[in-house]
Amino acid sequence: MSLFLLSIARVGAVAAAASAFGWAASRAACPPGREFRAERVAWAWAIAAALISGLVPACFLAGIEPGWPGLFALGALAAALGWWFRVPEPAGPSSEAGAGRTGLAVACGAVVALGIALYLVRALTEPMWSNDYVAIWGLKGKTIHAAGTLPRHLFTDPAMAYSHPEYPLGLPFFYAGVAFLTGRWDDHAMALVFPIFQVATLFGLFGWLRRRGASRTVAGLAAAILACFEPLYSAFLTGMAEVPLSLGLLLFGSSLSDAIEGDPGALRRLAFASGLITATKNEGLFFAAAGCLLALAFGSARRWRCALAALPTALVVQTAHVLWRGRVPLRDFDFSTFSVERLGEALAAAARLPGAVGWTQLVLVGVLVAAGARAPESRWMLGLCACGMAAYLLLPVFAIRGPEWLVRAALPRTTAGLAPLAAAAVGARYARR
Amino acid sequence: MIRRAAGIAGAGALLALVLIVQPWPELPQRVRVLVRTAPLELARRRLGGSGTAFDREYFVFLENARRRLPAGTRGVGLYGTPGTEPYTYLAGYVFAPRPVHLAPGALPEGWVGAIYGTARPPGVRILQDWGAGALAVESR
Repeated sequence: MSLFLLSIARVGAVAAAASAFGWAASRAACPPGREFRAERVAWAWAIAAALISGLVPACFLAGIEPGWPGLFALGALAAALGWWFRVPEPAGPSSEAGAGRTGLAVACGAVVALGIALYLVRALTEPMWSNDYVAIWGLKGKTIHAAGTLPRHLFTDPAMAYSHPEYPLGLPFFYAGVAFLTGRWDDHAMALVFPIFQVATLFGLFGWLRRRGASRTVAGLAAAILACFEPLYSAFLTGMAEVPLSLGLLLFGSSLSDAIEGDPGALRRLAFASGLITATKNEGLFFAAAGCLLALAFGSARRWRCALAALPTALVVQTAHVLWRGRVPLRDFDFSTFSVERLGEALAAAARLPGAVGWTQLVLVGVLVAAGARAPESRWMLGLCACGMAAYLLLPVFAIRGPEWLVRAALPRTTAGLAPLAAAAVGARYARR
Repeated sequence: MIRRAAGIAGAGALLALVLIVQPWPELPQRVRVLVRTAPLELARRRLGGSGTAFDREYFVFLENARRRLPAGTRGVGLYGTPGTEPYTYLAGYVFAPRPVHLAPGALPEGWVGAIYGTARPPGVRILQDWGAGALAVESR
């Protein structure tokens, strides 16, 4: 056990060190004070993940090997920027609701802890193994780490086309960064970062709902349901991009809502989250564009500022990818294949997918949305969820291997990635404002 | 009030449902696997895991081949595998950062052929042979 524990401790140390820098840098995004403390944990980890990931291309460009000196330099720079551009404390009273039903809130806390423990066991049972981890995310991360560079064959060799050269490099750089910092490629111990993403997401959800006036019970219930949501926090998705993306989408949606409300620091948070989701998965750019359009359409007085914060960083990240790897077409899609029959085939396959339990869960979410109050915060997030669902349902129509194939292969996990955003949207309808 | 009650009931039912549908039966087995395999080296943990379940002998072959690759190998040509996705993906991952080509007609300079199984194609020079597999280069 000791060797594995040592490897786990190494990954934990990397996560802790990067999070400390992330916490210091998050001053530029989150106002100080108790109200933001839980959310700041989520932002600290998101910034930490960006630092670990960004360390690799930054060091490659500087011509040095990625390692602790690079992380300390990058982290110190981020912390200094956080201090220099720190967000002032908001004026006015805190909007956090009171204690609520303490017994229920404690029970929710226990369920959250259970959900984290269950995912920890699922994630760490064996080295990361799912198809997309082996073929895409892990392959690229391992290649970057072992080669000490970004080899061209990842993008130019037709035999490697299965690794999807068109996918963003945020997660492979993150894996490579962890490996450089721990001094080895250990795809078992590295799985520890996935429960850390889960914990950060739960802190982000709970903190945002509390700040938006939800009671501890409501915020705790939302966190408890999400913590135990196995379709997202599964052994299969460990190693894939959905869990990191789901944190990014929650941060993006919550900061979009905050920015439209005019909260201090929200525009910076929105801009950062926009870059983060674009660096994680292709649809990140889509969500950034959808957020930009939502802000333009419904953002009232702050529409332009919000729209301008939502998209440019995503475009910068996308441009950096194009400059680095060249223009690579989407491999699985042919956009000339649209037909009503294919749309029907995709929707029918999607309708068969959830089964009795899945449909019951979806109906219960519908009941929760309908029974809750109409809150503007909820509207932005539900809007983003709806855009995501529509895209995930429509994309299979263009799948080269057929609509049913893509629905079966991707829809369950891509839609599960919307769960934190949906939990925040639904929870906000039960806030006391 | 009715809406709030419906909300609490809905949330309670949803929580109960996500708890009920947890894969509980696999939990003790996962803990046992974790405790049993943790002292083993990383490759052995992968060997016993889900990612190699489609053909564990194949992973043994890949690990054997990887550990025996001559220094400076630029890429790997893979022979004797079914060529289906799991075989291709796992080989690409194990041999990373070297590119892997499935049964290339000719091996480029600096590439090594990894042959799965006991058959040995003609026109190659065997570098290493361990029965269940071999490493070879083009006879030039």
